[in-house]
Amino acid sequence: MDRLTDVLTALSHPSRRDIIRRLAAAPARFTDVARPLDVTLNAVTKHLKLLERAGLIERERRGREVLISLRPEPLRLVSSWVHEYERFWNQRLDAFEGYFRRMRGKDAGHTRKRRTKAAQKKEANR
Amino acid sequence: MRNSTKTLEFRLERTIPAAPGEVYDAWLDPKTPGTPWNESDKLILNPQVDGLFNWLIRGTSHYGRFTVMERPRRIQHTWVSPYTLGEESLVTVTFEKRANGTLMTLVHSDLPDDEKARSHEKGWAYFLDKLVDSLGSGTRQRT
Repeated sequence: MDRLTDVLTALSHPSRRDIIRRLAAAPARFTDVARPLDVTLNAVTKHLKLLERAGLIERERRGREVLISLRPEPLRLVSSWVHEYERFWNQRLDAFEGYFRRMRGKDAGHTRKRRTKAAQKKEANR
Repeated sequence: MRNSTKTLEFRLERTIPAAPGEVYDAWLDPKTPGTPWNESDKLILNPQVDGLFNWLIRGTSHYGRFTVMERPRRIQHTWVSPYTLGEESLVTVTFEKRANGTLMTLVHSDLPDDEKARSHEKGWAYFLDKLVDSLGSGTRQRT
């Protein structure tokens, strides 16, 4: 299985997304992760295994406790993969719109520069 | 063979401070920044119904065929690239007159999807982006 598949599998269950949200706030112990979830401890263990396989969590022994923390980096795989064209067109349209706004600014500059500047100031102060 | 009956699409909007006809013409002019044909290593562009384009940039070729040309309201063309997995996707750009210029809407549809892609929504991806940005490596440092 490739990494992206592992991450998408990890995200495909609401309980695992709840765990991610929980860990996004702060690292937690197993019992802290399990408490708000309405599932068996066995199920929590399975969810954590899938999250671990996707590289989304890390376990660290602290004395007698094991702290579970989120590793968000693999999430980038998902967002960048899906947004390939959305990002592309957003950048393009921003440049296109920016071009027209600059053009309009230049046109206005020839005829009524002062008024435009005053209007811009007013706009900025709002 | 992949089964690509499933597709996804997205829609983007911008308000451009100019009349629809002017915006329509600018969108087809490779010299205009932000058009799909701007900044190319090689460009063939024949913007008329059944006209073809080939836009080569940084070693990636994009091909398409114009299917609708209705000045000043609508432009539609197909879009094929490595990112569409070589399949034909569809780009539809509409231009609607508004008091402050032109409402420009770009819809990219028929993008190949598969089972995994359907399992999450755009809002979710947005949330993920924010989450990753806000956390960075901070969570790990705190442990």
